[in-house]
Amino acid sequence: MAIITTHGLSKVYQAGKVPVHALRDVDLSIEEGEFTSIVGPSGSGKTTLLNQLGGLDRPSSGEVWVDGCNISALKDSQLIDYRLRHIGFIFQSYNLLPVFTAAENVAFILLLQGEKKDRIRQRVSELLTEVGLGDRMDARPRELSGGQQQRVAVARALASRPRFILADEPTANLDSQSAMKLLDIMEKMNREHRMTFIFSTHDQRVIERARRVIRMVDGAIESDQVQQPEPHQA
Amino acid sequence: MLYLSLAWRNLWRNARRTLITLASIAFAVVLALWVSSMNRGSHQLMVDNLSRFHTGFIQLQEPAWLDEPSLDHTLTYDPALQQQLLADTRLDYLVPRLETFMLAGGAEQVRGAMVLGVDAAAEQQLNGLQERLIAGEFFQPGDGRAVLTEGLARRLQLTVGDELVLLGQGRFASSAAGLFEVAGVVRHPLRELDNQLVYLSLPDAQWLLSAEQQVSTLLLTPHQLQQTDALVSSLRQSLDAQRHRVVPWQELMPEVLGAIQFDLAQQNFVLGTLYMVIGFGLFGTILMMTLERTREFGVLISLGMQRYRLSLVLLLETLMLTLLGVLAGCLPGWLLLRHFHHNPIQLGGDMAQVFEDMGMGLEPILPFALDADLFITQGLVLFVLSFLICLYPVLRVLRLDLMTAARS
Ligand SMILES: Nc1ncnc2c1ncn2[C@@H]1O[C@H](COP(=O)(O)OP(=O)(O)OP(=O)(O)O)[C@@H](O)[C@H]1O
Ligand SMILES: [Mg+2]
Repeated sequence: MAIITTHGLSKVYQAGKVPVHALRDVDLSIEEGEFTSIVGPSGSGKTTLLNQLGGLDRPSSGEVWVDGCNISALKDSQLIDYRLRHIGFIFQSYNLLPVFTAAENVAFILLLQGEKKDRIRQRVSELLTEVGLGDRMDARPRELSGGQQQRVAVARALASRPRFILADEPTANLDSQSAMKLLDIMEKMNREHRMTFIFSTHDQRVIERARRVIRMVDGAIESDQVQQPEPHQA
Repeated sequence: MLYLSLAWRNLWRNARRTLITLASIAFAVVLALWVSSMNRGSHQLMVDNLSRFHTGFIQLQEPAWLDEPSLDHTLTYDPALQQQLLADTRLDYLVPRLETFMLAGGAEQVRGAMVLGVDAAAEQQLNGLQERLIAGEFFQPGDGRAVLTEGLARRLQLTVGDELVLLGQGRFASSAAGLFEVAGVVRHPLRELDNQLVYLSLPDAQWLLSAEQQVSTLLLTPHQLQQTDALVSSLRQSLDAQRHRVVPWQELMPEVLGAIQFDLAQQNFVLGTLYMVIGFGLFGTILMMTLERTREFGVLISLGMQRYRLSLVLLLETLMLTLLGVLAGCLPGWLLLRHFHHNPIQLGGDMAQVFEDMGMGLEPILPFALDADLFITQGLVLFVLSFLICLYPVLRVLRLDLMTAARS
């Protein structure tokens, strides 16, 4: 069953005099449990597409449906709430609140959701242990490496029990070893929790880990392939 | 709790900047407290001095007295009235005065004088008049003796033991004449009055002026100066306006009230300027805090934090900053004011001379008021200020475009 479908999704940015067609008529369908990579040259519309899927920006035309809900039709505050309860985000950088510890950053999303305190504590430590940071729970972001910070972001994205997780170039600022480690963790979450991941990347080694690769050029989908992911040798 | 701890920690992200801002708020609070306390203190002292030596805090008069202060418009001062007034516990004691203008003469000189029939004990309680004796002593009620002010005694060339002649008109155009022995000479702090006062005991004055049981004004002294206004309004309610008129010091000395109000307007202008400067400093800090974190705000809203919740955090940050600043200013401010409240600054040299020359009987000291409302006002002003300042980041968060924030 598809969790996300887009119909004729287009986005035109008005940058100066010339309109920029960042997305052209994209029809896309994402199934539950996918581990999908969006690839393409710089400026091809990867970020724009992910923003549309995550309800961070509104389409110029077309629709985004998530679980039978047309999120493009939601009001701003409803959309914020929708994101809180149904979508996990991992950004390229500046993901975490610098004033909070790793544990607090994860707990934060649960507190926003109105979760009970005692349940939060347990879940946060489970999640951080799962991403391999069980011993760094009380570290502030600046005391963590870039890779560790991204793993906290993964834990936070998972914490809210979303329907799917969007990650825009999550490995872009990481060395390849940390990048592979992050991919391992994402893959494990995908396998064990059937969590749907959609991530964009430039990195060939990351692309190889995906099971479905959507290639974009100039705001349109050029190719959409299912592949056998390379087994990762740690 | 979440928002409080988030706001608190955000406040200390740039500890140095926060400390500088706190210091500037605290400094403004101390300065504002200093200025307003000193003004309040000297105003209170001025009102207190003038009331005590001149008009009293509240006067009870016959309604026509204010327009025509003659002996034909006096008040009957009997035990019944006394009892009725003193039933109000805010009222401390009463000071009756019977006054009129007469000719005063010694052996050589004759002058116009203001004759005051007083209850020496009550005057003593009001203004410590007896301590101002520079020669002789005070009379006993009805002993036929008088006390002169120094200026008048000099003009009449009279000293203790000499005889004083008083000549004038009594009540209802009766003629009044009397011979009094000078019992003492006082130095009155109000220069104007020092040149013209003759004190008689109340019974002597009433006898001289054919005004048995009459007083021209009855001074009412409240336990606390701040109670004056409330006391006046309740007296106005309980007394018959046809027979008794209640006049507070503000109406008795409108020029003093005017001077105080002018002083306060000046003070408020200066403090307003100070607050504007502080306000811009605070705004600068909040502006920097907001601009630096635009991207973070974008991330938070993207993750699902409602804009109003984020605004609340920003409001808390501003309020905490101000609250800390106000506290940091109030504590040393309070210690400072308390010190000068108990040890008023003694003015020396030229300043003391200026006070003397004003002839208002002011002691050359700068007293400091320690009223709670001075502190509360500072707090309120700064809170209003911080609310206003906080509007900027709040508006920014409410309008923030996620795409723009992500690219910043
Ligand atoms: N907010 C915006 N305003 C104007 N133009 C925009 C905006 N966002 C994106 N664009 C334009 O839309 C096009 C697609 O941008 P997008 O960021 O989606 O590309 P991308 O594939 O993510 O590139 P990269 O690999 O560099 O991240 C680009 O030409 C970009 O300049
Ligand atoms: Mg991009």
